[in-house]
Amino acid sequence: MSPSYLARRLSAVLLVLLIVTFAVFAITTILPGNAAVMILGEYATEDQLLALEQRLGLDRPWYVQYLSWIANILQGDFGMSLRLSLPVSEVVGDAFWNSASLAVTALVTVTVIAIPIGILAALKRGTIADLGISLLAYVGTAFPEFVTATLLLVFLAGPATGFFPAGGFVAPNESFAGFVSHVVLPAGTLSLILTAHIARQVRSEMLDVLGSDYIRAARLKGLRERTVVRRHALPNSLAPAVAVISLDIGYLLGGIIVVEEIFAWPGLGRLLILALENRDLPVIQAITLLLATVYALSNLISDIVIAALDPRVRYE
Amino acid sequence: MERAIVPPVPDAAQAPAPVLEIRDYTLGYNTPAGRFEALKSIDLQVWRGPTLGLVGESGSGKTSLAWAIMRYLPENAVENSGTIELSGENLRAKSVPEILAIRGRRISMVFQDPSTSLNPAIRLGDQIAEVLVQHRGLTLKEARGEGEALLARTGITRPADMMLRYPHEASGGEKQRVVIATAFACNPELIIFDEPTTALDIITARQILELFGRLRDETGVTALYISHDLGLVSRIAQDVAVIHDGVIVERGSCASIFKAPRQPYTKALLAAVPRPDLRIAPPAPDASAGDLLSVEDVSVNYGNAPALLRFLSPPRADAYGARSVSLGVRPGEILGIVGESGSGKSTLAKVLVGLQTFEGRLSFGGRAFTSRRMIDRDYRRAVQIVFQHPDASLNPRQRIGTILSRPLRLYDLVPPADIAARVRALLEEVLLDADFAARYPHQLSGGEKQRVAIARAFAAEPSLVICDEITSSLDVSVQASVARLLIELQRRTGTACIFITHDLNLVRQLAHRIAVMQHGKLVDLFDIADVTSDARDAYTRSLLAAVPIPFDAETDPVTSEAGAGNMP
Repeated sequence: MSPSYLARRLSAVLLVLLIVTFAVFAITTILPGNAAVMILGEYATEDQLLALEQRLGLDRPWYVQYLSWIANILQGDFGMSLRLSLPVSEVVGDAFWNSASLAVTALVTVTVIAIPIGILAALKRGTIADLGISLLAYVGTAFPEFVTATLLLVFLAGPATGFFPAGGFVAPNESFAGFVSHVVLPAGTLSLILTAHIARQVRSEMLDVLGSDYIRAARLKGLRERTVVRRHALPNSLAPAVAVISLDIGYLLGGIIVVEEIFAWPGLGRLLILALENRDLPVIQAITLLLATVYALSNLISDIVIAALDPRVRYE
Repeated sequence: MERAIVPPVPDAAQAPAPVLEIRDYTLGYNTPAGRFEALKSIDLQVWRGPTLGLVGESGSGKTSLAWAIMRYLPENAVENSGTIELSGENLRAKSVPEILAIRGRRISMVFQDPSTSLNPAIRLGDQIAEVLVQHRGLTLKEARGEGEALLARTGITRPADMMLRYPHEASGGEKQRVVIATAFACNPELIIFDEPTTALDIITARQILELFGRLRDETGVTALYISHDLGLVSRIAQDVAVIHDGVIVERGSCASIFKAPRQPYTKALLAAVPRPDLRIAPPAPDASAGDLLSVEDVSVNYGNAPALLRFLSPPRADAYGARSVSLGVRPGEILGIVGESGSGKSTLAKVLVGLQTFEGRLSFGGRAFTSRRMIDRDYRRAVQIVFQHPDASLNPRQRIGTILSRPLRLYDLVPPADIAARVRALLEEVLLDADFAARYPHQLSGGEKQRVAIARAFAAEPSLVICDEITSSLDVSVQASVARLLIELQRRTGTACIFITHDLNLVRQLAHRIAVMQHGKLVDLFDIADVTSDARDAYTRSLLAAVPIPFDAETDPVTSEAGAGNMP
């Protein structure tokens, strides 16, 4: 990997984030019905509005507001939460780590399960195993999270079984066992669709690669099938799978909002819904920006992993 | 006099038993439409010493035979009868582990396209080494050392460096040397060469052929050389077997088959091989009339990209598809443009039909065009193009009749009521039945589709037709008939023609003048009569020298390279 490749990818990420800050700022600040109106409601008096606008700095030109907002963010100051009277960074910080623990658990689960079953389906193409995996994949993709979540709750957390708690959160550093028992259902919900999606991608990539000339050449060299699959087919079929996983992170970030609400997981999703209900603008801005950053960075990481798997992109 | 790539003929006592013997072998494939018989009662022996050339067109079964020998058959393959013996051992009776121990060690293969047969994610050195580790039990370190020695033997100048490269960091010729080194790695009894030069450029192909000859002489390996190219096989093989529709129609020594073919199919195949000495073009038009179309200082820079893309994607050097090309086409003339891949032939074609932005000046019919935007409907009607792949250039969802009527309607050439009649006439002109109008492209063969594409170009009543590698994807016999058809249409309509190709023998058969391109530049332009003149550019001469001139019926095939010139 050349430093210039990395520098170029990084500058692309920064460009994307710049556009995102602009969009986030524009949507919540420039559009009609400014923050002051939203906060005080439609029955507020002119004086009240003016006073709050001054307090929030809304009477300044928009570009001054934008630049001071950016300057503050760069110093880690996202402002005060309008509802909780706490610094936004504090409110969002805790929620971020809670969400991250859920997302990472889901992502690891997906990767560990989806890639092997995708490969298995490709190698056993046309057999019962392949058919079963494909069928499960279709079913998995067809079920939205709230349906999956409800089914999991009824069968695994309901009064009949009670294997797992129906909701709530225990931090891993308090009780790891407690964290695990609480994370299984939400992470399972998030994993199901993604596993289905990624397994299907891996299967079709693997089939493409297995049908390629260089795999035929490897077989005609007298290499054992295991060597052919492991050394010749896998690296070539995983690079596209990594690209799909990184795109699915966008989906995961959306899904987490629904799943956290269902399982009462105190993460960014719940906080975002709360902030939206209360028109807590600084919190909404911070969360949106954070999610966009996570997505952009995960794409950067996937680019690096792909470059490691495929020598053709290394020196570009 | 160039060296013929033919080893000394072994005396009969040295070759007591064939290395490969195939007896009464029959192979079919089960398809939804029923059983397709790919090979019918094949009898074939390959002896140590003389190389056997297996010649056939696409679909003849030559590749199926290679897979059968390698025991690499798809699940729907059915072997009805026969034996395939390697040094007396029946390969059909071998178990899977036994076959794995034979592949790569006792029989190996060199494939058509080195850019697809090498794994893009593995270093070239490791792709050689893994065979040695697998079959000779070497450690990876020993295998890499041995691999380097093997690469050195294939003429790669810095083998240690090449060992560490990935396929995308090597040229086509280098990659094919790696594939060949791998095939020779375990000193196999038999090597199957499956069109090993078809995907390579002319000069590279020649070098690979020479390497093949040298390694064969050095190692004495038995070789089965599969090709569609009779001219090429006549140069490197001693024995030839001609396969057609799954049947070996004729076999014998090269000399006997090329001098006195017995079977009609062999005769037809031989007649279809383009031979520079048999001109098929009408006499050249009067040169004094001036140019019909000319380009002056035309350049195409593919490196131009918008600023944002330049920022986000890897920096690109200026990549010129064409560089200050100046060239004219005379009315009624056939101008051949030759060059290797990437030389700018197709870029120039795209400029001429207004598909590519360019710098410079284009003159046609008294008008000058200095940018692509100036090219208008009148120009587009007058300058038509036929592309290489008719599959890609004919809309699969339109009937042939619709395809042919498009230019007629677009340019208002025929009253609406007469369009159907004109389409029928066009089809007949390209020797297709009028009822083809109701068919879809997928119901036609490759040659028929290319005829439709030609008919579409001529439907616009153009004054210039550009043929961009139009015969490259066709079989030899189909290629010959398409070329003759084109010449006939050209003769009848007086339309000028630019014939772009990498097939030097073909272009020498039909062009009045030949332009040679290299690295985007025009390096040579000459009348066909001056092809062997000393005034030719060095690059032109090396191209001409690299192309095997097919056998000459009058003389020994091995020594019939008169006129090919010398390798520089």
